[in-house]
Amino acid sequence: MSSVAERFADDLVDRKVVLQFLLSGAFWLVFAPTIGVILSIKFNYFDFLGGISWLTWGRLRPVHIMGVIFGGFTTSIFGLTYYMVPRLCGVRMYKESWSRIIFWLWNIGFTAGLVSLPLGQNLGIEAGEFPTWANILVEIVLAMITVQVVMTVLRRKEKLIYVTLWYLTAAYIWTTFNYAFGHFLLPFHFAGVNNAAMHGLYIHYVVGLWITPAGLAVIYYFLPLAARQPLYSHKLSLIGFWSLAFFYPFVGTHHYIYSPIPYWTQTIAIVASMMLIIPVWTVIQNFFGTFVGNWKRFQESFTAKFLVVGAFYYLIGCFQGSTEALREVQRLTHFTDFVIAHSHLTVFGTFILWVTAGLYYVIPRLSGHELYSRKLAVWHYWLTVGGFSLMASTLVLQGLLQGTMLQAGTDFVDSMVAMKPYWFTRTIAGVTMDIGAVLGMWNLYRTAVGGPLLAASPEGSPAGNAEPQWS
Amino acid sequence: MEPEHQERSEINRYETSGIEERHGIVPAWLIGVIVILAVWMVYYLIRFWTPS
Repeated sequence: MSSVAERFADDLVDRKVVLQFLLSGAFWLVFAPTIGVILSIKFNYFDFLGGISWLTWGRLRPVHIMGVIFGGFTTSIFGLTYYMVPRLCGVRMYKESWSRIIFWLWNIGFTAGLVSLPLGQNLGIEAGEFPTWANILVEIVLAMITVQVVMTVLRRKEKLIYVTLWYLTAAYIWTTFNYAFGHFLLPFHFAGVNNAAMHGLYIHYVVGLWITPAGLAVIYYFLPLAARQPLYSHKLSLIGFWSLAFFYPFVGTHHYIYSPIPYWTQTIAIVASMMLIIPVWTVIQNFFGTFVGNWKRFQESFTAKFLVVGAFYYLIGCFQGSTEALREVQRLTHFTDFVIAHSHLTVFGTFILWVTAGLYYVIPRLSGHELYSRKLAVWHYWLTVGGFSLMASTLVLQGLLQGTMLQAGTDFVDSMVAMKPYWFTRTIAGVTMDIGAVLGMWNLYRTAVGGPLLAASPEGSPAGNAEPQWS
Repeated sequence: MEPEHQERSEINRYETSGIEERHGIVPAWLIGVIVILAVWMVYYLIRFWTPS
């Protein structure tokens, strides 16, 4: 380890574990979207890979979903947690020796669970599909990290609790319970409509009580560092946190508007979805308020670039999600690709991109290397932005078109035929994004294993002041 | 500097991470959005609690 990497480790961060998690997260960030591309090809060529049972649509789609949420996103979040929490608390992680066990438990449990899906072992709960034996391993990991995070926060030396810690602590506690609910109760103890209603809660707790708060923890940590300015407003960040915590638990049923689930629960879900505009706009105000006056960082830093573009998609995707819950909008968009646009805008466009920003920030600093190739990072950024903007706009357009056709009484098969050019465009967009991801993650891997060494920070400057040139 | 303005501009620094934050403000336009949404929420809950 170079002297610079030692300074960034601050004697607080287990450098090896963080890098292991981040690099395995980077692998899943390429693998899971690639499965998505294969799935999108099946829309254009229905027989593509259809002769092999474990490569059929029904078996591969869960690999894509679980791979993105729990592979790419969650594995990276674990690594970033082990970086952010000790540095915000001023103490090493509680029971740090657990972290290396967790790394192997997680990767073995997750990989085995993922492999079991194409083999046909599936609980049948969307975003909760691993077989029970894999879920036990995942649940143990979640419980162990939750204990580590909570205890580290309790033992902190910093007087104040930064908003990242609010979000992370809550996300881990919520998810430890929610994962158990979704995998050990939901598939076995609820039947019929009740199962659907509870599934609406489970899947939105995955999105709203795991992906969202963990992703917001990341942006709030790296935003002031990337902008090199103080966070705009602590007060605003906490309004965002508490409004998310209050409203998100009620939104799940908005997937089941016009269903046999009681009308008043649908109404509560609609209202809660609209009220989520509050936490979203607090984040956006904080984001742009922090960057104002130092936009040149957007040109200089890939962390800043990915944070900014993620914030842009966050605003669009979340506003779309809130209004999509309204009955009139739902009537037009339900069962169309408009919904798929929303999930991609939020999960990929926002949270995966923010996590990517975190990778660009942490990997050079902890490895003590400059970014291996600025050119590869530029390609990663523009292929991602170009490909994803094309995908998102195509999905929105085709969703609205599908909805309009179905409302006008067009035959369902005819509405599908009309989608062909859009599906092809979506595949092109997916391939573009995937090439970008391969280049980006290869760049980060090469950075971790040996790019040009970072220059040492000036004598006497605080630890962590040596800045990689482009991240 | 007025005490209220001073409090808003007060900066917390987290030493190990190097992160700084202002105590900060909640912009008036955002308070307006929150109020409008809250009023709409009450209306919508009452109006659509049951199918009309």
